[in-house]
Amino acid sequence: MYYIGKEWKENIRGKGLWLALSIIVVLSVLMMFKSSVLSVDQGFYFLLLHLFDTLVYFIPVLCLFLGAFSIFQEKEQKTLIMLLTKRETFASFLWQKSLSIWIVLLIPVVAWFFIYLVPLKFMLILDFKSYLYFLTAIITIIIVFLQLGTLIGSISRSRMQIVGLTIFVWFYFFFLHDFILLSFLEKVTYENVKLFSVFYFLNPFQAGRMFLEGGLGVLSVGHMSKLMQTFLWTKPSIFLLGNLVFWIIFSYVLSLVFHRKEGVE
Amino acid sequence: MRNLWLFLLSVPLYLGIFPSAGFAEGNLQAQLDALQPGDVLKLEGKTYEGNIVIDKTVEIIGTDQTVIKGDGNGNVISIKAPNVKLSHLKVTHASMNRNSPEEFAAIKVHSNGNTIEDIVIRDSFHGIYLSQAHENKIRNVDIKGLGKGEIASQGNGFHIYFANNNLLEHNTIEGTRDGMFFEYGNGNTATKNNITKTRYALHYMYSDDNRFIGNTFTMNTGGAAIMNSKSIVLEDNDFLFNYGHRSFGLFLLSANDITVENNTFYLNQRGLYIDQSTGNKIKNNRIIQNQIGIELWASSNQQIFTGNQITENTIPAVSLGGQGQNAWSEDGRGNDWGSAFPLADLNQDGLGDLPVTYRSSLHQLIEDQELTSFFLKSPAINIYEKMNEFLNEDKVMFEDLHPLVASNENHNRFGLYGAFGLLVIIILYKGRQRLCITLGRNGKKI
Repeated sequence: MYYIGKEWKENIRGKGLWLALSIIVVLSVLMMFKSSVLSVDQGFYFLLLHLFDTLVYFIPVLCLFLGAFSIFQEKEQKTLIMLLTKRETFASFLWQKSLSIWIVLLIPVVAWFFIYLVPLKFMLILDFKSYLYFLTAIITIIIVFLQLGTLIGSISRSRMQIVGLTIFVWFYFFFLHDFILLSFLEKVTYENVKLFSVFYFLNPFQAGRMFLEGGLGVLSVGHMSKLMQTFLWTKPSIFLLGNLVFWIIFSYVLSLVFHRKEGVE
Repeated sequence: MRNLWLFLLSVPLYLGIFPSAGFAEGNLQAQLDALQPGDVLKLEGKTYEGNIVIDKTVEIIGTDQTVIKGDGNGNVISIKAPNVKLSHLKVTHASMNRNSPEEFAAIKVHSNGNTIEDIVIRDSFHGIYLSQAHENKIRNVDIKGLGKGEIASQGNGFHIYFANNNLLEHNTIEGTRDGMFFEYGNGNTATKNNITKTRYALHYMYSDDNRFIGNTFTMNTGGAAIMNSKSIVLEDNDFLFNYGHRSFGLFLLSANDITVENNTFYLNQRGLYIDQSTGNKIKNNRIIQNQIGIELWASSNQQIFTGNQITENTIPAVSLGGQGQNAWSEDGRGNDWGSAFPLADLNQDGLGDLPVTYRSSLHQLIEDQELTSFFLKSPAINIYEKMNEFLNEDKVMFEDLHPLVASNENHNRFGLYGAFGLLVIIILYKGRQRLCITLGRNGKKI
């Protein structure tokens, strides 16, 4: 609770949280106007898919910066050293800090998306269940990239390192991960498709999109070939949950192993 | 006298315990049997037990609460006389049995010239089955099936079998196997029907000279699959959100001389998917934001694409299995390919000064590996294309000699959006101090 309060005060005084929130607000409002010209019956589904596809361009990079600078600030201001000297291990600090970063960003984002429902109610036919699927996908992506951000913040010694690593991680998930898989696509057979599927769904964007499409009922999984069936070997919700758990553990463990207590300007 | 009292008391008691026995079913069928040709039967707002057979030219009118419930062992209503009229009924509980020699329906029509309107159909294998029935009119029918996951265990919304010159209009079909299934049905017209969450909204075999106008096909596995047919007209239809990995808006397979005009193909996995088809004209359609705008197999020839707006698709058009002989313009009028293909129009005649040529390397991958469809929404596709362009491993997918210059009507709207976005950012940034005081309970200026 102490960490949450501290994180909250630090964030609302800083620019990062407001910038992230304002971008999400602006994008979602723009998408709302764009979707209002579509059919009232199906417009809500169009909106959710479009909004998801648009937000994934911005949310990861914002979350990576927020997570990374939040940890790095503790190093810069020497509060990390003070905390570790007094009562905390780095593992316990990191866990509590991560949790507080998630909560501090998720509260305003989730609050905004509930406010967002009010104008939508007047423009489109709402499907609350589908909206929850959308929120779950967005929240998962936010948590994954915040946690990857804490990894970047933990292992970096300077702000330049943070900027460089953040751009690399964003570029990796946005382009490189799928590009590498595309290069191997011709070699995928029934024997190795499950392994390929695991790597494919390690991309939070793909796992999130699949989960959202499944939740909206637009993902047709009936009458597929054996290869496709093996590729989708479990439910989209399990892929998303697996993705979340994997990246949290991955980031947390690497943060513990490679963290640097000192930061330099 | 005592026995008479006992008898009079026992009859209502018996009917109270066994309400359907002898009275309800027999009653409706008996009422029908008692009618003369041309009579009108007005039903009350209550549930009548089926199944019934109509073998006289009569009119049956219900109210919004009138239900005809089948016994689950056959067709609920069988129409065997011509020129019957049914309206304002809810028909439920036809047989779902797939092991019988007959496929059952809520309403099965075996005759000509009938009018069926304002009907709700639930809990039935097929909705309305036209079996060798011609010149019928079916309007305002609302059919709901078991849902999208159920394919084999249920039938179609409308099953048109050897049935010609029928009119299907203003109907709503959701969650059946196929929305409208045509087999050997010629000269039919379907207008302003709304079909959603089925396998194929329109499934179509060996049927010629039919017209589909103003229908909406959304969120189906496939919008319309037209197979082994010719001389079909599809106008002003919306093929939206047929979004699964194997989905399509319109699939033409061995379909010839089809006219596809003024339709909207929006957010489909493939907008148009054309295979083994010849001589089709695709004109003035909007093919927007699909993963693949047009998938054209080399077995298809002599298609004409003219006046279409083919914009914002991940892949505008792809030719698979080699290049067929198809035309991307007619009478000097090509297609609008959007901002992805910038055009100069120095003489301002609305046509680009140079041809549009689209090259892609994805055709081989799409042909060889079905999992490619999982990557079409990924931004990595653009890098993959650029890389192969650099390595010269791409091929020409189409060449439009007379491309249309894109319209600029959206530019003002984007300016408006930009101004609004800037305003929100300024409000959040400038009002941050006040928000900090409110949310953080401190007044420290940062």
